[in-house]
Amino acid sequence: MTDYAIELNGVCKSYRFFELQSIALRLQRGTIMGLIGPNGAGKSTTIRILMGLVHQDRGEVRVLGCRMPDEQVAAKWDIGFASDDMRLYDSLTVGWHINFMKSIYQSWDDGYAQLLLKRFGLNAEQKIKGLSHGQRVKAALLLVFARRPKLLVLDEPTTGLDPVARHEILRELTSVMAEEGRSVLFSSQNTQDVEQISDQITFIDRGRIIDSMDKEVYLDRWRRLRLEVPDGIALPTLPGVIGIQQTGRLAVAIANAFEPHLPNAYENSGARVHAVENMTLEEIFVANVEHSREEVKA
Amino acid sequence: MKTNVMLRLMLKDWRLQRQTIVFTILAGVTALAVLLIGGQTPVVIGTVFFFVSMVFCAALLPMQNIVNERKKQTLSFVMSLPVSSARYGAAKLVSTVGMFLALWLILLGAGLYMVLCRHILPSGAIPTGMILMNFPLIGFCLITCTALVAESEGWGTAAMAVVNSSYWLGWYLLLSHVPSLTKTWGGQVMVWSPAVVKILVVEFAVILLTLGLTLYLQSRKRDFI
Repeated sequence: MTDYAIELNGVCKSYRFFELQSIALRLQRGTIMGLIGPNGAGKSTTIRILMGLVHQDRGEVRVLGCRMPDEQVAAKWDIGFASDDMRLYDSLTVGWHINFMKSIYQSWDDGYAQLLLKRFGLNAEQKIKGLSHGQRVKAALLLVFARRPKLLVLDEPTTGLDPVARHEILRELTSVMAEEGRSVLFSSQNTQDVEQISDQITFIDRGRIIDSMDKEVYLDRWRRLRLEVPDGIALPTLPGVIGIQQTGRLAVAIANAFEPHLPNAYENSGARVHAVENMTLEEIFVANVEHSREEVKA
Repeated sequence: MKTNVMLRLMLKDWRLQRQTIVFTILAGVTALAVLLIGGQTPVVIGTVFFFVSMVFCAALLPMQNIVNERKKQTLSFVMSLPVSSARYGAAKLVSTVGMFLALWLILLGAGLYMVLCRHILPSGAIPTGMILMNFPLIGFCLITCTALVAESEGWGTAAMAVVNSSYWLGWYLLLSHVPSLTKTWGGQVMVWSPAVVKILVVEFAVILLTLGLTLYLQSRKRDFI
């Protein structure tokens, strides 16, 4: 058995106005990966390819050891998939959906489903068309969680939810992860959600993976240095610094591979270091995307 | 042992479309009941509404059962289940055709009962009636094929428009090219002439070809959502 729940190697897919370029991605079993990218970055296309819903033009995709899309049926028995554009049948009740899933999956945990109904404040007798957006998302996730799948693939599940509903879902996701060996790929534009639950972060932009590593490593390596640059002093180009924005005497340097000697190097060049700040995941995401786009232009 | 997901999907479709099926059967049977009144006007009205009920369902069922799956965004839910796009297509085709065939056979049986047992029309009308009964079945197959392969409301509506206007063309071609039909449909004896048999064979061939082509095109799809 492979150590990876998801493996994508050199995956390409071309559309008329969009191209997914040589995607390489690995999700270790038992970890949560947050896939972050702006609108149109390729998150959903990547997820559809790994679910076998879209066939890649080139490259290899393995999910839970199954080659996709050829072995998608075998893989899907153990994958729980939900996306923000997924809807349930309006004219049928939550209970009907529960029974439908129960009739398909032998791994269905009825006790857990009842518990989730209570926790999410859902009524099994209620028709889907009578539910709010938040309740519909919760109902869809209930159907995924109660199957006890080995791999959860969630494509922007918290989009459009109020903070309370988001918190409830993230809390449940964390508790689901308490079970050993379960893996999660979680795509979102909301970096706060991803930061809260992920072990690994992958940034995707314009059809390319621009960075992928452990969350703690990210947060540790990225720093913002606030500098004062006296007249006549030119800031040196230092390794690990990906950009400097200067307005008059004040400058901000962004480091993606921060080393403790960096502030000293700026001090030695004649600048004054006012502060070395940690960056939030959102700030890292924006800086990373901008840097990647500049690199592509150059 | 793993569950038969295709069977579950087909049962789900039957559950979702049962109102349409029951409504069509009731409408068709009611139209036949009008024939019992007797006289030329009730016969014309009953016959027209009998066919209209099937033509209506032939257009509505593929749109509701196939196109709505994508339009109402429930396709992602279905495709998250352990099923491939080819198996999904096969399940959709079998459930949709099965539903229409069920109501078609019930209405055919009801129609035959009315002619053979209640004698509301002469028995000589049965061969022509069989040919006409296949019109909505062929139309249904063409709309279903378009709906499943294109999965677009626009293409589905276009297919509906073409099919619905072709019924009159079919009727016209039948009368102008097979004049022997009009000579025998008023009699008490069913005449299965070579022309009638040939038309029925062609009709069934078109049905089988359309369904086969649908399965083939569906299995070649690369992008499903």
